[in-house]
Amino acid sequence: MTESKPLTGGGLLFKVLEQHGVEHIFGYPGGAIMPIYDALVDSNVQHFLCRHEQGASFSAVGYARASGKVGVCMATSGPGATNLITGLADALADSIPIVAITGQVPTAAMGSDAFQETDIFGLSLACTKHSFQVTDVNDLEKVLHQAFAIALEGRQGPVLVDIPKDIQTAAVEQTFKQVTPLKNKVTLPLADITKALDLLTHAKKPILYVGGGVGMANAIEEVRSFADKTGMPSVSTLKGLGAINPKDENYLGMLGMHGTKAANLAVHDCDLLIAVGARFDDRVTGKLDQFAPDAKVIHFDIDTAEINKRRIADAPILGDLKENLPLLTMSLNIQEWQTQVQQMKDDCAWRYDHPGTAIFAPAVLKEVSDLMPENTCVTTDVGQHQMWAAQHMNFNDPSNFLTSGSMGTMGFGLPAAIGAQISRPHDTVIVVSGDGSIMMNVQELATIKRYQIPVKIILIDNAKLGMVRQWQDLFFDGRLSETDLSDNPDFIMLATAFDIKAKKITEKSEVTAAINEMLDHDGAYLLQVKIDAKDNVWPLVPPNSANNEMMESA
Amino acid sequence: MNSITMNKYKLIIMTDDKQVVLERILQVTRYRGFLINGMNAQVNTGNHVATIELMVSSDRPISLLIDQINKLVDIKSVAIDNNASQLCSA
Repeated sequence: MTESKPLTGGGLLFKVLEQHGVEHIFGYPGGAIMPIYDALVDSNVQHFLCRHEQGASFSAVGYARASGKVGVCMATSGPGATNLITGLADALADSIPIVAITGQVPTAAMGSDAFQETDIFGLSLACTKHSFQVTDVNDLEKVLHQAFAIALEGRQGPVLVDIPKDIQTAAVEQTFKQVTPLKNKVTLPLADITKALDLLTHAKKPILYVGGGVGMANAIEEVRSFADKTGMPSVSTLKGLGAINPKDENYLGMLGMHGTKAANLAVHDCDLLIAVGARFDDRVTGKLDQFAPDAKVIHFDIDTAEINKRRIADAPILGDLKENLPLLTMSLNIQEWQTQVQQMKDDCAWRYDHPGTAIFAPAVLKEVSDLMPENTCVTTDVGQHQMWAAQHMNFNDPSNFLTSGSMGTMGFGLPAAIGAQISRPHDTVIVVSGDGSIMMNVQELATIKRYQIPVKIILIDNAKLGMVRQWQDLFFDGRLSETDLSDNPDFIMLATAFDIKAKKITEKSEVTAAINEMLDHDGAYLLQVKIDAKDNVWPLVPPNSANNEMMESA
Repeated sequence: MNSITMNKYKLIIMTDDKQVVLERILQVTRYRGFLINGMNAQVNTGNHVATIELMVSSDRPISLLIDQINKLVDIKSVAIDNNASQLCSA
């Protein structure tokens, strides 16, 4: 008879992960995390070996955003840990619940400049919601439970747990002690909606300004109901896309730098702005003192620190949006405003009758959006293609549009799609990327190959860093600096090298058939879409300008 | 040359005596645009609660910093000592 091995810190980690329902994690092994990877062999958690720790962190982000669960990633000490940082910073900026596990050199070696030692605990301060370094194995169980609680509590975010190698190997007993739930130490007042009700009652031109907090508060139904019952025109941030039904007749689309003209003009003209889970980000407001200049503001948020941070709220309402927003529901007499806004919407409708035979990226993305199965999850990278996707694709839930909103991290799309596909194996997952962005985490094509992950990649290829090129043309006198990518690899050969079916299209007439072929293909697929290098994203609110000063052409 | 009105504040921060809590407070203070003019810190070894007096200055409203420090997990409370706060020009 063989005796069972005593439980170690590494083994305990997986027992706690299993307690929290973790089925999948993303990571990359190395010296200081080997005991954890040894324990992984005996666990029920499925590990996905990414090809770079940044890929692992973004796959965890994509997994969390697509599923609503906590995403888990892990890496070794030193460079493994520092490679996680961009993903953690992205998760902090977009409020995504992540638990990151890092190996660390043994406690006795810490502070000695040991091989692959870095102070990831110190480095984590600015890129996590909270972090721990475990120096006693008897603290490990409690710390891991706290990490999950903190990641999910209030405004969600990433938590890092740094575990020295000797803690991973030390014997420990699982206590199964209940961890006291966290309490928000900032006592949220009972929502005082008296002022808000008064503002809404007297408003003649109200706008509902919907942000990413709506999805995270699980308040989509309440927000849609509010929009429906009040008949109030609504606009969305990049991260809020999907919260409002895109077919809602009073919905005007995205606002801000590349928002719709109707959304920006309506917000500029409104007399009441109701912000729900939105934070007056600079890409939304343009010149802040000219943003909705005549509007009173009602601001719903879970985070005290967001109230009055960028715009003073006339009626702040702190707390759970799901509970508080219905308190404000009333029918409004705003037919004149609705008519005016509808006229703006009609006057500023997108046009897809692009002349010539060259492919027009907005038309491609609109067609993909029309043809893709219901509940498809789309991820993007960052740049022109990201804004075109936000403008021209429709989503019925924020968990179906994953984009790096606040950090704007190139390299996000491909690994995020891998995480999304693993969390939702029965849904179609599409990456919209650019020829600049895809090269940032192109190594993750190997992860797609290894696990046969059937993501569809639409590569909008202008052989440029398109958004930077656009700004150089418009705002730097056309002095192009380091934005040419005409020496890109052959993307078809590249995909083929990873056993990914690929096709390149260069003319408008090829688009529909190519999209259908991609969507019908069972496995992973890369569709390279060549576009004119001079195509720009319109409209555009120039820097230091008000949102009603949009440019619509060069 | 335009002068910037710098407000000086004294914050009284009560916090659990946990790893790197002081570093977290200092990092948030710097990142949110406040200069640290002085600091006193003591730990009650009986209840493991630290009291930190932080003297800061900025042209930004102090409420922005208070709200951000309050979000740190280990912080128990943040209060402003109105008697020790003042306006000055820099």
